[in-house]
Amino acid sequence: MSFKLLFKQKWLPIAVAALLMSIFLSFVSPAFLTLTNFESVLVQASVTAIMAVGMTFIIILAGIDISVGAILFFVSSLFAQTLNTTGSVALAFSAAVISGCLLGTVNGLLIVRFKVTPLITTLATYTIYRGMALHLTSAQNIPVPREIGWMGNGSFLSIPVPVWWMLVFTVIGIYLLSQTRFGIYCKAIGCSAQSAKESALPINRVNILAYAIGGLCAAVAALILIARVGGLQSGIGIGLEFTVIAAVILGGTKLSGGSGSVAGSVIGAIFLVLIDNGLNLFNASPYIYDIVRGFVLIVAVLVDRVSVIKNQPNALKFKTSSEGN
Amino acid sequence: MNDANPVLSVDKLHKAFNGKTVVSGLTFDLYPGEILALVGENGAGKSTSKNMLCGLLAPTGGEILIEQQKVAEVDGALHGISAVHQELSLFKSLTVAQNLCINDLPGSNLNIDWSKAEKIARKELDFLGVAIDPQALVGDLGAGKQQIVEIAKALLHANKVLILDEPTTSLTKPEREKLFAVMQKLKARGVAMIFISHFMDEVYQMADKYLVLRDGQQVAAGELAKTPRSELEALMVGREMTQSQIELAPPQNQVSLAVRQLTSCHFNQISLNLKKGEIIGIGGLMGAGRTELAEAISGLRPAQGEIYIGGKFIKRPSLATMLKHKLCYVTEDRRGLGLFPQRSVKENMTAANLSNFVQPLFRGIGFKNEQAAAQQVVDKMNVVLPDINSAVSHLSGGNQQKVLLGRWLACQPEILILDEPTKGVDIGAKLDIHKKIAALAASGVAVLLVSSDLQELLDLSHRIIVMRTGEQVAEFNRDAFDPTKIIAAAASSAYAKETS
Repeated sequence: MSFKLLFKQKWLPIAVAALLMSIFLSFVSPAFLTLTNFESVLVQASVTAIMAVGMTFIIILAGIDISVGAILFFVSSLFAQTLNTTGSVALAFSAAVISGCLLGTVNGLLIVRFKVTPLITTLATYTIYRGMALHLTSAQNIPVPREIGWMGNGSFLSIPVPVWWMLVFTVIGIYLLSQTRFGIYCKAIGCSAQSAKESALPINRVNILAYAIGGLCAAVAALILIARVGGLQSGIGIGLEFTVIAAVILGGTKLSGGSGSVAGSVIGAIFLVLIDNGLNLFNASPYIYDIVRGFVLIVAVLVDRVSVIKNQPNALKFKTSSEGN
Repeated sequence: MNDANPVLSVDKLHKAFNGKTVVSGLTFDLYPGEILALVGENGAGKSTSKNMLCGLLAPTGGEILIEQQKVAEVDGALHGISAVHQELSLFKSLTVAQNLCINDLPGSNLNIDWSKAEKIARKELDFLGVAIDPQALVGDLGAGKQQIVEIAKALLHANKVLILDEPTTSLTKPEREKLFAVMQKLKARGVAMIFISHFMDEVYQMADKYLVLRDGQQVAAGELAKTPRSELEALMVGREMTQSQIELAPPQNQVSLAVRQLTSCHFNQISLNLKKGEIIGIGGLMGAGRTELAEAISGLRPAQGEIYIGGKFIKRPSLATMLKHKLCYVTEDRRGLGLFPQRSVKENMTAANLSNFVQPLFRGIGFKNEQAAAQQVVDKMNVVLPDINSAVSHLSGGNQQKVLLGRWLACQPEILILDEPTKGVDIGAKLDIHKKIAALAASGVAVLLVSSDLQELLDLSHRIIVMRTGEQVAEFNRDAFDPTKIIAAAASSAYAKETS
């Protein structure tokens, strides 16, 4: 990659921000610059990061999915319940992954079929999925067997398993976005739905697939989370969608659609953990965390707006220069 | 000019929407390497013709022959006909190469061959002789280059006939020259083109043949070399001066609205004095900046320069301050910007001066006299409606326009700015509205009338100011009205002021 190309990467600002944050934290606390802490940051980021990979495609399409946290909750419930009643790990895993894809597909189908805005549609399915999960488990906490824990706490080639998953999803996501028809169609449709229609792009199929991928990512994240926690907890995944969306926006993906970066979303997720990490080092009250996260998101959105406004005068300039006196 | 067979022949093409004819009698032969100019006033049927020729609309009568084969309906990709519309269909966040190849990406679904796509793009751009980096983002290119990318995209799939719809309106002079060079290159390679333009200079510079549309009818066609410009302009206008049915009272001497050197990105240094009781018509072509000027004077759009009302300088024009100075603006976009379609006629009528009806006893709660006031306006404006409480969207176009006009008249304006007041209005309602406007002027209201309907301007104005690409280019007094001259001023040269 040439130097000039590097500067055009959308993930660059968040990568720089994450780097500066790391440098700052390593000055504040010597504990920060240890391998264990580094590992723990990545493991903590993995759940958000994997979901953010899926969310990136949805936001590039100028959509949004509020229901991913609820999908995560439902998938966890189904997994724990299936494992508890049948004892079959294979069955539980397949049920989890398939149900995740299915719930995402339902989101996509509703959005393209009834042309209701994604925000409202997924707000509705958020409630439905969460209700389904509560109904399925009667709002009970369900422990899962210890061997499942490997998925969340084990390691492979001395790298934690969740970090592997995060890497795999990041690589696949980057490839999907840059090298496949699906990826380029996402960018095109998100950029201009009108032009996409005129170019006869498969708008509906691309949308459904993007929400299905979002569901799949939520399902895998659910498996990691349940393994790390050691069982199903009833409040799991509440508010997670906002962390995920924040990671995607921080990563340089435009909320208005059209362009974005999978790598940026993953770095955005890591950045959010770094902030938590920093607050932790400062012994901040746990109630402060959400306030700080919210402010970070506002700053990210403002930066995005400013760049849009800065680009706008160019669009208007041509008229005045055409006078040519 | 060419011995070969025509690539596209059209015979008596006809299009009607709901039984109303919009284009009829379109007949021409187009040979390879020929450029046909399609000219006509606003609303003459150029767009409909274009859409039939590129396959977006199915004709309701007549024949289309492509390379002497009769076809029922054009399929652009199959028949090699493509169109570049005014609204570009590019994806700004994608690269040039991605835009060019989006409909036919090389490689497989799961592995696009981007280097091949880039080669295709480079080849196509080289063919057009323009230096555009295939890796550049389209959003980073100027309007001229975007236009050329759009042409390249169109030619990639269909390269026999290219239809260009007003391709120069948003281009600077050098960009325009570059576009013309590309067109010349295509012409030399045997691509036939249909060039839709308002600008006579461009038509004479580029085209071989012309075809004039007027009110949906093809009124003339021929070789440009044999047709003097004045004749073509006269053909576009077509009508002789008819005696206006409207009696205008002479304006008073007191200046009501003065605009000095008003400038924004859409218009440049506009100055005018509007007297009490005077109607000034603003003429010009689509995109000349007329609506933008009207909106700027009404305080809807920021602009530099000075606006005086009754001699008083308006420091910060906004719709609310203008309304306080009794200046009202009636928008062109009735449905989108003017009316509240779901709400009742009554509410639409009183929306602009609601504060007059607020119940005084319990401040701000409930309305008083609203019904009666609205009914009064309905009667005054001759609105035909089932019930004052029915939704405005149920009314016909003409009656909707009367409601909108009525709403602002209820504010008792002293200055009225009207943008296309009779657009989409039937002939009877149109005359009603014209009479109403003339009566208002006679009672001392100053009126600024923006219209694309030349006859309306001629009928209704004391003076006509012509705008062209944002410049104020000519002014005509009522006793010197000449439709051909007005069209010539509006269309003749896109970029230089006339030196007459």
